[in-house]
Amino acid sequence: MLLKIAWRNVWRNKSRSFIVISSIIVGVWALVAGTGFMNGFMVSYISDSINHNTSNIQVHHPAFSEDKDIQFYIENADAKAQTLRNIPGVTAVTKRVLVNGMIASAKKASGVEIRGLDIANEQQVTHLDSLLIDGAYFEGVKRNPVIIGAKLAEELHVRIRSKIVLTFSDKEGDMVSGAFRVVGIIKTSAVNLNEGTAFVRDADIQSLLGIGNNYHELAAVTQTLIEEQVVIGKYKNSYTEDLIEDWKEIAPELAYASNMFSNMLYILMGVILTALVFGIINTMLMAVLERIKELGMLMAVGMNKSKVFFMIVIETIFLGIIATPIGLLCGYLNVRFYNERGVDLSEYSKGLEAFGYSSDLFPYLEPSVYLTVAVGVFITTILGAAYPAYKAISLKPVEALHKI
Amino acid sequence: MSIIQAQNVKKTYNADTIPVHALNDVTLNVEEGEFTAIVGPSGCGKTTLLNILGGLDDATLGHVEIDGTSITQMSDSDLIDFRLHHIGFVFQAYNLIPVLTTKENVEFIMLLQKQDEKTRDARGMELLTEMGIADKADKRPSELSGGQQQRVAVARALASKPKFVLADEPTANLDSQSTKDLLDIMLRLNEEEGITFVFSTHDQRVIDRAKRIVYLDDGKIVNDVTVKK
Repeated sequence: MLLKIAWRNVWRNKSRSFIVISSIIVGVWALVAGTGFMNGFMVSYISDSINHNTSNIQVHHPAFSEDKDIQFYIENADAKAQTLRNIPGVTAVTKRVLVNGMIASAKKASGVEIRGLDIANEQQVTHLDSLLIDGAYFEGVKRNPVIIGAKLAEELHVRIRSKIVLTFSDKEGDMVSGAFRVVGIIKTSAVNLNEGTAFVRDADIQSLLGIGNNYHELAAVTQTLIEEQVVIGKYKNSYTEDLIEDWKEIAPELAYASNMFSNMLYILMGVILTALVFGIINTMLMAVLERIKELGMLMAVGMNKSKVFFMIVIETIFLGIIATPIGLLCGYLNVRFYNERGVDLSEYSKGLEAFGYSSDLFPYLEPSVYLTVAVGVFITTILGAAYPAYKAISLKPVEALHKI
Repeated sequence: MSIIQAQNVKKTYNADTIPVHALNDVTLNVEEGEFTAIVGPSGCGKTTLLNILGGLDDATLGHVEIDGTSITQMSDSDLIDFRLHHIGFVFQAYNLIPVLTTKENVEFIMLLQKQDEKTRDARGMELLTEMGIADKADKRPSELSGGQQQRVAVARALASKPKFVLADEPTANLDSQSTKDLLDIMLRLNEEEGITFVFSTHDQRVIDRAKRIVYLDDGKIVNDVTVKK
């Protein structure tokens, strides 16, 4: 009967209930859509970094991470790459030669990280070829091809088939230079790839460095639901001497950004739900004040205070139960619509790219966020109902009955 | 046997500022089966006395016992439970629950008493039949006339099988015919089922049919007459 009274009370003043329901719908919708957009930025930022830059897992010589000395290469890199490849959940592995040096064109010079790539496997790991906006993936010239970022090309005033010179120290510490020809220009939201990296073939750089068929880095990508630490554990069972890290250790700023986003979600949720609480309190208080006489009668004839309290709370929960799924659905459709079509933020591309964000936004939300929002709204409705319900049970029946 | 015993009851409002003495040393005993009217001019303390007898308000001084139980020192929650099981209320403005049907309004009290559905259903229909409004069982209060609503209120008051029914100006909003119909029902319940009624009124039509008339003036009982018919 309590449920029946509460349910019918919801529809007693349709316009008031409609206002509360609408405000919850708009609040939930805004929360889901806002979170979806924020998450879209973050997911694309992190996935771009993992897919095109850090990969899920990297292996190095323990000393290499400290000072990037080219002498600290990985022993038996081919065998270790094969071991990684054989671990369940690992989808692709590539090997890299890494050296810091200078890149110079006829007009300008700049510091770069030079990556010597196992070009066939690199395609599987970083999809570098998919980032090309001009030229081809190590095609077009037979000797010393190089791929650079669009920003670096702009800075050096070079284009496809332009000649550039890479200078660096070899194994003996002597300065060596190599002439390379630009065969491809890539564009990505990752600042370091766009501005400070030159991609060459592994054999070309190995011969200049004089390190033979050795590599400084193994990079692996894993299936989406595979926990990187499980793969790392399995690798360590075979090779204990190497430093093997997941993307959170390789790029702690990504892990930090990911954590920060989670906190932002709760802050955004807190702000919207706080506004909602006050809206609910206001409306339910009106509903209680409008029914003072009736509430007085209920307590006069023997309805105890806890039942009166719960009747008001249940009424509010009903409003939430009606509104939340609609708000979630609107938010979901909103996120899905823009996820499929993308949001073109090219007007702000310069600002976004400076922070490593893509100018194409694809809002996205994990299903668990919808549950979090639903639970948040449920708690909000209870909090919003608590004060009006408290006011209701604070009434003295005799005074309430004689209220005009 | 006295079902209501009120001894030296005083009620003072605004005791700290400008005191208003609503009741001044009222002593009243009501026996089981009585049909008692508390009458007097507006502001004489009728409603205050009914509220105190019904445990809705507390006396400033004095003592009230209902069916042998003192309600003077009871906590709010104990009083709510006591009212539920011992007292039936009929209010001037009917005060039915507008979102429930007639029958649901009557059954509501029995539900609070945790009676099972079968009992509620049977007693609800029995009371509505007794009140002559069984055909209105599925109507909402807003679809009933004032007289019919007050009959539902009486049915609701009787649903819990209370020791007595307190009615505050039950006919104040009713026309002559509805007043007569309601009084007929209340008298029949009193005479045939022995239900005790105590009601406040200044309606002469009601006073004429009361079996005992307690006159209040300025918060004091000035006359107490048992009518022999």
